[in-house]
Amino acid sequence: MSRKPVVLLFLATLVAAPAIPQTAIAQNAIAKTAVAQRTASQAVGPALGIPSTAIAINSPTPLSQRVVHYAIDAKYDPKTHALDAQETLTYHNLTGQALDTFPFHLYLNAFQPTSTWIRETKRDGTRDVSLEEWDKKNYGAEEIQRFEVVLPGTAPADLTAQLKFIQLDDANKDDKTVVQIHLPRPIPPNGYVQFKIAFHDQFPQTLERTGWKRDFLLAGQWFPKVGVWWHGAWNCHQFHGATEFFADFGVYDVKITVPQFEVVGATGLEVDNVDNPDGTRSVTYHADDVHDFAWTASPHYKVYEDTFVGSMGPVKLNIMMQPAHVDQEERHARILKQSLDHFERWYGPYPYKTLTLVDPEVDSAAEGMEYPTFITGGTNWWMPKGIYLPEVVVEHEFGHQYWYGMVATNEFEDAWMDEGINSYTEVKVLDDILGPRTSIFNQWGFTMGERELQRLSYVGVADLDPIARNGWEYANYSSYGGITYGKTASVLLTLEGIIGEDTMRKAMHTYFMRYRFTHPTKEDFLRTIEEVSGKDLRWYFNPAFYGTQVLDYDVLKVASTPVDWYKDNKDKKEEKKGETEYQSEVLIHRKGDFIFPVEIAIAFDNGERLREHWNGGDVKDRWIRFTYKKKAKVETVEIDPDHKIQIDRDNFNNSHRVEPDGSATSKLTNYWTFMTQLFAQFLAWWMV
Amino acid sequence: MNEKSGLLATGAAIVGRHKRYIVWFFILNLVLARMGASAFRVQAGHLLDHSLHADGLLRGFDWGIVGELLSNPGFGSTEAVTTPGMILAALFAVVTLVILPGVFLGYASLYRISRQEFFRACGQNLWRFVRLAILFAIVAGIAAGILHGIFHALAKLADASSYEKLPFYVHLIGFTLIFLVLTKIRIWFDLAEADVVVSDQLAVRKSLFKSIRQFRAQRFRLLGAYVAISMVALLVLAIGVCVWNVAVPSASIWGAFLISQLILLLLLAARFWQRAVAVSCLLRSRG
Repeated sequence: MSRKPVVLLFLATLVAAPAIPQTAIAQNAIAKTAVAQRTASQAVGPALGIPSTAIAINSPTPLSQRVVHYAIDAKYDPKTHALDAQETLTYHNLTGQALDTFPFHLYLNAFQPTSTWIRETKRDGTRDVSLEEWDKKNYGAEEIQRFEVVLPGTAPADLTAQLKFIQLDDANKDDKTVVQIHLPRPIPPNGYVQFKIAFHDQFPQTLERTGWKRDFLLAGQWFPKVGVWWHGAWNCHQFHGATEFFADFGVYDVKITVPQFEVVGATGLEVDNVDNPDGTRSVTYHADDVHDFAWTASPHYKVYEDTFVGSMGPVKLNIMMQPAHVDQEERHARILKQSLDHFERWYGPYPYKTLTLVDPEVDSAAEGMEYPTFITGGTNWWMPKGIYLPEVVVEHEFGHQYWYGMVATNEFEDAWMDEGINSYTEVKVLDDILGPRTSIFNQWGFTMGERELQRLSYVGVADLDPIARNGWEYANYSSYGGITYGKTASVLLTLEGIIGEDTMRKAMHTYFMRYRFTHPTKEDFLRTIEEVSGKDLRWYFNPAFYGTQVLDYDVLKVASTPVDWYKDNKDKKEEKKGETEYQSEVLIHRKGDFIFPVEIAIAFDNGERLREHWNGGDVKDRWIRFTYKKKAKVETVEIDPDHKIQIDRDNFNNSHRVEPDGSATSKLTNYWTFMTQLFAQFLAWWMV
Repeated sequence: MNEKSGLLATGAAIVGRHKRYIVWFFILNLVLARMGASAFRVQAGHLLDHSLHADGLLRGFDWGIVGELLSNPGFGSTEAVTTPGMILAALFAVVTLVILPGVFLGYASLYRISRQEFFRACGQNLWRFVRLAILFAIVAGIAAGILHGIFHALAKLADASSYEKLPFYVHLIGFTLIFLVLTKIRIWFDLAEADVVVSDQLAVRKSLFKSIRQFRAQRFRLLGAYVAISMVALLVLAIGVCVWNVAVPSASIWGAFLISQLILLLLLAARFWQRAVAVSCLLRSRG
């Protein structure tokens, strides 16, 4: 992307900024009225319903099919890292059938020594945790103290005693991350049910994503959350080491009470902020058309406000920085706006009125996480400008607003559909903003690009697991990460090479616009690509997404022999460039079991260039020989000369130059020698 | 010229008179490291020399391609390329230990010593230097271990603070203190090594006790001189790497080789300068 549109966007943002506070005041008033009306209606009787508010979105009407409405009143005690809350969940049965059983996620129970999450994490590790030993501070719990059900026309019924923990994934009886309730009578199709849940949270010191660190709190997955009725059954998996989440769209009204010294940020729009006489502060948020709610509190946040003018209206950006990182606020704001701009232009509009970017406490294991309209970044006070880690994390987590937030795929079963597709768009966006070979870092002469990083994370685990696999069934966390992020991104970049960049972007746009605010499946995505490209791509999709086949082509042999080689020396002409005729052969080999058509470029020493095409053979044929009779020798051979294939496991064997060039080896050997000498001198400096 | 700069200047003059020692050690350092890198060269060359993909390495320093090289199954194990380098680096330290007595003798002599005198000193002092090296490792190891333990614990405490930079400052102070303490111990042992050679001292403990007294008498001048030379070495490294990065074209193999070796030559000279300062100090104390 050129920089000019971004600059114009900044200017437009600055011009639009003064209008925001008035709008926000008006919205606060609307929201208060809406909450008051709901409270009143609930007080007089069980006329249940889901609000059709459009307070927190730049749309006059709801954007999703709203299944749930959560109204939560929570009070947090930072001394004990505990929370007590009253949750009122209204559920609209849009499943088309009567429902008498409801499962709920209790994610915080994952942070207990015998839970499935801890067992799997101990076995495989995760992105943040290796769990060498159990620390009592890592204990977390989500305890339902009272569970009442309100059915239309009946008084609330206390069903607390009937709650039952279920473990459908692994039968681990110690896992308490899913609880189920059986209702006295079923909820008819299109009917409503309300659950009134009093619960107590004990937050863990963050092992991953959620919990406290020092005096910081990131409250994610902190309230009892109902599962999703999907494909004719409840989808409510236990919390696993490698998996994330899945929930229905709806409306959230959440009041959070904290000590007045805390600075709070959350999903959605802040609609009320009141200081209480007891030294606490209550902050109320409203969110429309989201499927989760997270919040954070810390006394140290420095909050910056900014505005992005999106295609559906202004978006208020809340950037909550750690005190030691305030000099990086501009970096965070810039990449956030650049990401918004790219996604709006390439994939579709961002419809929410707010976006909160949290710079979490360092070493909190809460870095790089996404929730609707609320993301966490990750940086350090010393972060050099040329190391783009903050930019990469912010862009990635923002991308999840599209691939998870709005296109709400099942993160348990199709992790690649949020992480992988997001990694692909991350490569595209960061390539455009920071450069293809420099988007990870460009510092002190050293460079690295996002595209190559994704590929590298994949090649080490290339044949371990298919992309299409339940998140908890990967061989280990490296495979989960390498396949869901790295392989998916590389597979989609290769797909771009097959159907063209423009077609791919159009397909992604179509997929987003068609499936936003729904729960699409993997086939929905693949079929959209086929439909937009007008091509049958199953030959590629089957091995790439559903298989473990590895793609690896190599140049097996290159040889040029004088055609008169058999003659006696006295009869044979002396070899002369441009005069001697050679028989040349080029042997291309498919080492892997992934069959893929490839281009081959052959260069001769007289400057002639040829292009050959090979369909990759079949089960029986793994190689192809090209022969030439010319007054020139083959100089170089290169498979995939346009570098369209990102999933080839070994790029070094994709080409062959007949005359070796040791420049690269010499360069690296120089570095290696330098480091060895330096180490030797260091040893001798101190030891002798 | 004050006393401290006098020590530095005298040391520099000694080094200047015996440049050949530095050149020999430099050649030894280079040859051993080159031998240590040969496994790397063979394994990398196997993948790179015939591949067009390797050309990407000549445009700047792309860690993506380097990472791909190191993780490539055809490259072999990382241990196979790092182990020879580690062994030969250790060998350089050992050879330094063996040859150093000759260097001390040369530095302490008013005339240019013969090859026989040089190697006789090496032979005569070999086990004395081995004993000194072992004692240094014990003393320095204990001191560094205790200090590291203390600062590690302090850093852990500092980690509980919400002031994010505090652990860094604790580490920085700890590192500086450990550096100063190790430098003091190094000065003590450098004086002892020089004394062992110059006095032909059979009992190294006597040289160690004598060196403690000498060090105490001139601790600030010696420590100042050693720290100043270490800072010069650090500057040489920093400026050298900057020049390498900015001025040497990324595809220039010879340019990179020359600048990298110049940096290493100067670093080596800095350490010999410190030893010359120790010899100079010893000779002054002997009148």
